Amino acid sequence: MTDAAIAEGSLLYLDNVHRSFDGFKAINGLSLVLAPGEMRAIIGPNGAGKTTMMDIITGKTRPDSGDVLFEGRVDLTRHDEAEIAIMGIGRKFQKPTVFESHTVADNLELALRAKRGPFSTLVHKTTRAEYQRIDEILATIRLTERRSWLAANLSHGQKQWLEIGMLLAQEPKLLLVDEPVAGMTDDETAETAILLRKIAETQSVVVVEHDMTFVRDLGVKVTVLHEGSVLAEGSLDVVSSNPKVIEVYLGR
Amino acid sequence: MITHFILNGLDRRAGIVVALLVAIAILVPVLNLVVPPSSPFHVPGYTLALFGKYLCYALLALSLDLVWGYCGILSLGHGAFFALGGYAMGMYLMRQIGPRGVYGDPVLPDFMVFLNYQELPWFWHGFDMFWFAAIMVVVVPGLLAFVFGWFAFRSRVTGVYLSIITQAMTFALLLAFFRNDMGLGGNNGLTDFKDILGFNVQSAETRSGLFAATALSLALSFWICSSVVRSKAGKVLIAVRDAESRTRFIGYRVEHYKLFVWTLSAMMAGVAGALYVPQVGIINPSEFDPANSIEAVIWVAVGGRGTLIGPIIGAVLVNFGKTWFTAALPEVWLFALGALFVLVTLFLPKGIVGTVQLAAASWRERRAAAPAAVALDPKPAE
Amino acid sequence: MSKTRDLLAALVIRLTFVVALFAAVLMPAAAQSTDAELKLLVDALAARGFSETEDAIKALAFTGDDRVAAVLGALGEGNLFVGKTSKQVVIGRAAGRDLVLTDPVTRAEIGTEPSAAYTKIRVNNRLRRTIQAAIGTLTLLSDNPVTRRAAAEAVMKTRDPETIPALDAAIAEETDAGILQVMQEARAAAVLNSDAAEADKVAAIATIAGRGDRESLSILTQYIAAPGEVGVAAQAAVDDVNTTIALWNAGQNIWFGVSLGSVLLLAAIGLAITFGVMGVINMAHGEMVMIGAYTTFVVQQQIRMYAPGLFDFSLLIALPLAFLVAGAIGVAIERGVIRFLYGRPLETLLATWGISLILQQAVRSRFGAQNQQVGNPSWMSGSFDVGLISITYSRLWIVVFAIFVFFALMALLKRTPFGLQTRAVTANRQMASAMGIRTPWIDAMTFGLGSGVAGIAGVALSQIENVSPNLGQGYIIDSFMVVVFGGVGNLWGTLVGALTLGIANKFLEPYAGAVLGKIFVLVFIILFIQKRPRGLFALKGRSIEA
Repeated sequence: MTDAAIAEGSLLYLDNVHRSFDGFKAINGLSLVLAPGEMRAIIGPNGAGKTTMMDIITGKTRPDSGDVLFEGRVDLTRHDEAEIAIMGIGRKFQKPTVFESHTVADNLELALRAKRGPFSTLVHKTTRAEYQRIDEILATIRLTERRSWLAANLSHGQKQWLEIGMLLAQEPKLLLVDEPVAGMTDDETAETAILLRKIAETQSVVVVEHDMTFVRDLGVKVTVLHEGSVLAEGSLDVVSSNPKVIEVYLGR
Repeated sequence: MITHFILNGLDRRAGIVVALLVAIAILVPVLNLVVPPSSPFHVPGYTLALFGKYLCYALLALSLDLVWGYCGILSLGHGAFFALGGYAMGMYLMRQIGPRGVYGDPVLPDFMVFLNYQELPWFWHGFDMFWFAAIMVVVVPGLLAFVFGWFAFRSRVTGVYLSIITQAMTFALLLAFFRNDMGLGGNNGLTDFKDILGFNVQSAETRSGLFAATALSLALSFWICSSVVRSKAGKVLIAVRDAESRTRFIGYRVEHYKLFVWTLSAMMAGVAGALYVPQVGIINPSEFDPANSIEAVIWVAVGGRGTLIGPIIGAVLVNFGKTWFTAALPEVWLFALGALFVLVTLFLPKGIVGTVQLAAASWRERRAAAPAAVALDPKPAE
Repeated sequence: MSKTRDLLAALVIRLTFVVALFAAVLMPAAAQSTDAELKLLVDALAARGFSETEDAIKALAFTGDDRVAAVLGALGEGNLFVGKTSKQVVIGRAAGRDLVLTDPVTRAEIGTEPSAAYTKIRVNNRLRRTIQAAIGTLTLLSDNPVTRRAAAEAVMKTRDPETIPALDAAIAEETDAGILQVMQEARAAAVLNSDAAEADKVAAIATIAGRGDRESLSILTQYIAAPGEVGVAAQAAVDDVNTTIALWNAGQNIWFGVSLGSVLLLAAIGLAITFGVMGVINMAHGEMVMIGAYTTFVVQQQIRMYAPGLFDFSLLIALPLAFLVAGAIGVAIERGVIRFLYGRPLETLLATWGISLILQQAVRSRFGAQNQQVGNPSWMSGSFDVGLISITYSRLWIVVFAIFVFFALMALLKRTPFGLQTRAVTANRQMASAMGIRTPWIDAMTFGLGSGVAGIAGVALSQIENVSPNLGQGYIIDSFMVVVFGGVGNLWGTLVGALTLGIANKFLEPYAGAVLGKIFVLVFIILFIQKRPRGLFALKGRSIEA
C-alpha cells in the first residue's frame, strides 16, 4: 500500500514526526497508524515521548516536521486544541483535571456535545435530552449518587472516572487516555479496564500506560516507544519477547 | 432563549439585591429632597454625593470581579476603562458649557482656547450630543479592551504577565493623557462642568438624579452579571479560571470567552467612570494611575471575589474607611490600606462574603449531620 | 572744549594702537610697557562711547602686557570704575555702600571710598566680545597650555580679523599639536570674516569643517550665501559637518541609552532573580531601591555630622549597608508574608503591593515627603568630553557599577553552591526539593539577595535621582518591562533587555519626545509579549510549557 492509501483508510496517521526542545529530540521520526475503531496501548520508559506525542495530536505542541492526519484528510498541525477537540479527539490527562468548583453534573454538562461559542452557551438552556445523557453517563461512571457534589470533594479514583465520563460526554471519535489507572486500587484498575473496553466498542482509543497488568487486561495491540520513535509493535506477548524491548526496559 | 438568559440571572438572592438597589435609588433621593433637613430621616447632600461616588466604585469593582473572580484574569488596569468612560462623559459635559467658559468661545472649551487651538479636534465632534457620548462611554473602553484582549488572549498571555501588561497599559495611557497635545486638557483634565441634559450639575435635584441613575446602573449591571455567571457560558468561565487548558481540550475557545467577558467588563467600568465624573465634577489623567487600579482590586478582594455581592460590599466598606481615615488620621491611611492588602490575602482569601458563605455552609452541614450523629450515638452512661 | 579733549584722546589711542600693533608683532613675548603708558591707556577705557572704549581695549591688548588681562577681566565683569572727579580708572570691589579700590596698573590696594564717588564703566555685548578676544590674544602666549587653549577658543568665538597677526605669532611659537590646531581654526574663523582672498577663505573653510562640531556649523552656515567658491565650499562643509554631528548625536544617544540601560539593569536584576526563582512578582521591589537610596542619605548625614573627611567614601560605606538593610527587609517579607502565598502568584502580587504602600508611608513618616539631598562625592562630580559627547562621571560610574554587579551576580549564580541550588530551583522546583535542596531556605536567600541588589541599586540611583519616598514607584513598571522583555530565569536576558529598552527610549526621545517615546516602548513591549510570551531569552522545554 502507498502512504496515501494508508493515510486514507486510517483514523489517525503520524508519519516521520519530529519535535525537539532545545536540542533534546523528544519525538524523533515517529510513525503510527491507527485504524477506525481500534484500541491501542502505548508503552515506553520515561522520556520515550509518550506525552509529547499526545501533545502533538491534540494541538498543544506543534511538530518541527512530519505529517499528522486525522481521518486521512485533516492536517492536525494546522488546528489548535479547541478545534481538534471539536473534531472529535478527546484527551484525558495523567493527573486528573476536573473543574473543581463545579458539581459533577456541571462538569459533565460542560463536556456534552453542543455548540461551544460564547454566545451559544450564554443563552443555552439545558434540554431534557441532555439531562438524560448526563444521567446515563453518571450511571456508567458510577457517580449517580455524587451528581451534586463539588468535583473537588471526589476521591482520586472518582476524579479519574469523572474525567473519563467527561470524555464520553464529548462523544469523540478518538480518545487519548494518559495513564488512566495511576494511583488506583487494584479493584478500580480492573473496573477501569472493563470501562475502557466498553468504550472501545464504539470509539477508537489510545491508552498510554506503565501498568503491564492493566495493559494485559486490555488485551490489545501494543506499540513500544523509545527515544521518540517506535521500537516495536504487536501483541503484548510478541512485544515483550522482543530483545530490543527487553534491553530498553531491563538493560543498562 | 434570550428570556431564559435574562430570567435565569434573577434567582432569589440576585432578585433581593436588585430590588434593594432599586429601593435605594428611589428612597435616598426622596430622603434628600422631600424630607426636611430637620427630620432625622433627612439624607444630607454631602452624604448623598459621597455614597453616589461609592456606588460608582462598586460598579467598577463588580466589573473587575467579573473578570478576576469568575475568569481568573487579574486586571491591574481597570482604572483605565473607568477613566476612558469618564473622559467620554467629561467631553460631553465640556461641550455643554458652550459660550459660558472663561474665554467665552462658543465651541472650543477653555483649555483649547488657552492652548491656541483653532478648531475642535476631530474626536471631539459629536460629543455635544448626549446619545453619542453615552454610546462612546461603552464603545471606547470596550474597543480598547477588545483590541488589547484580542492580542493578549490569542497569544495566551496569562497570570502575572497579563496583570503586568494591563498595568503597563494604564501607565501608558496615564503618560499619554498628561500630554497637552492629546487634546483632552492635559494635566488639568476636564472640569468646570455646568450642566448635564440641561440640568445644572450642582443642583440638589441633579445630584439626586445622578445618584438614582448610578444605583439603577449598578442594579442593572448586577442583573447582567448574574445572568452571565449563571448561564452555561458562566460555567465555562469558571472552568477557564480553574483549569484553562482542560477547558481547551474539551473544545472551548478559551480566548473567545476571555475576550467576551473582558470586553463586557471594560464597558461596565466605562459606565462607572461616566457616572462618576458628573458627580465629582472633574476627570484628569490621575485616574489612570496604576495605584487606583490596584486599589480597586483590593475592594474586590475584601468583599470576596467570585461572588457578585462581595465587590459591592468591599468597595463601599473600603471607601468608607478611606473617607474616615483620610479625614481623621491621614497619616495612617496608607498604612491601613497596605495592611489591608497583606491581611486579606493572607487571612481572608475568600473575602468577607466568601468567608461568610463558607461558614454558613459548614454550619448547615453540621446541623444536617447533627441529628444523625445523635441518633447513632449510644446513650452516654450517666 | 571737552569735545576737543576727547578727540585728542582718541587720536592718542589710535596712535598707540598702531604702535602697539607693531610692538606686538615684533616682540610678542616680552611686551612690558611702562606704568605711565599703561595708566594712560587704562584711563582711556573710561571714554564716552562704546566704540572709543573698544579702541582703548584693543590698544591695551596690543601692549601685550601681563597686567592687562586682569584689567580687561575686571571691565568685563563690571568691576572697573572711574572716579567722578579724578577721572582715574580703578578696579573696585563692592563692600556695602563702599568700594574697595585697587590700582589697575600697580595692583596695589588703594583704600576704600564711598561708591557714590565712582561711576561704573559700562560694557555692552559687543564690548564683551572684544574683551574676550583681547584677553584671548593676550593669553595666547601664556606659559600654561590650558590657558593658551582657552585663549585660542575665546579668540575663535570672536572671529575678529584683527586677531590674525596675534594668532600668527602664537602659531609660530606653539609646540602643542592640539592647541596649534585650535589656533589655526581660530585663525581660519578670523580669515573668513576678513577680506582675504577667495582661495584663503576656502582653505579656512576646510580647516573649520575639520572641527566637525556645532560651533563650526554656526560659523560655516553664515557663509553659505557667500558668492563664488566660498559659498559652495561652505555649503559642502556644512553638509559634512552635519553628517559628523549626526553621527556624534547617535553616539550621544547610545551613551545616554547605555546609561539609562544600566540604571534599568540595576533596578531590574534583583527582580529578575526573584521572579525567575520563585515565579512571584515583588511589587515592593521599587521600595527596596528607595530604601537603598535612603540608607545612602542616612550614611551621608552621619558622615557630615561626625567625620566630614570621609565624605568621599560615603558611597562605599553605604553600599554594604544598603545591601544588608534592603536584604534583611526582603528576607523578612519572604518569611513573613510571601511563603504563605506559594502557588498563588496573583495574591503575592497584591500582598507585596500592600507592603510597598506600608514601606513608602513609613519612610514618608520618618523622613518627610520632600526630596532629600544626597551629595556626590568628588570623584562622582563633573564631566569630561569625548568628541562632542559630554560624559558625567556619575553616569560613567553607574555604568561601570552596573556591569560589575551584573558579573558579580553571574559569578555568584554560576560558581557557588548557592548559585547551583538556585538554578536548580529555577529549572524545576519539585525535582530540586526531591534532591534534598532546602527550597524554603533558597527562597528566603534569593529574596534577600534580590532585595539587597535593589538596595545597592538605590545607592547608585541616589546619585542621579531625587531621593523621595516615591523613588521606587518610578522604576517598578520599567523593571518589569525589562524582566518580561528579557525573559525569566536568564540574567543575560535581563542585560540585553535593559540595554535595548534604555537605548530604544533614548533614540525615540529626540523624535517623539520623552513621554511619547516611553509610550511607544510600552506599546512595543505589550505587542512583544504577545509574540513571545516568555521573553527574549526564555527557558525552553517541556517542564516550562506544561
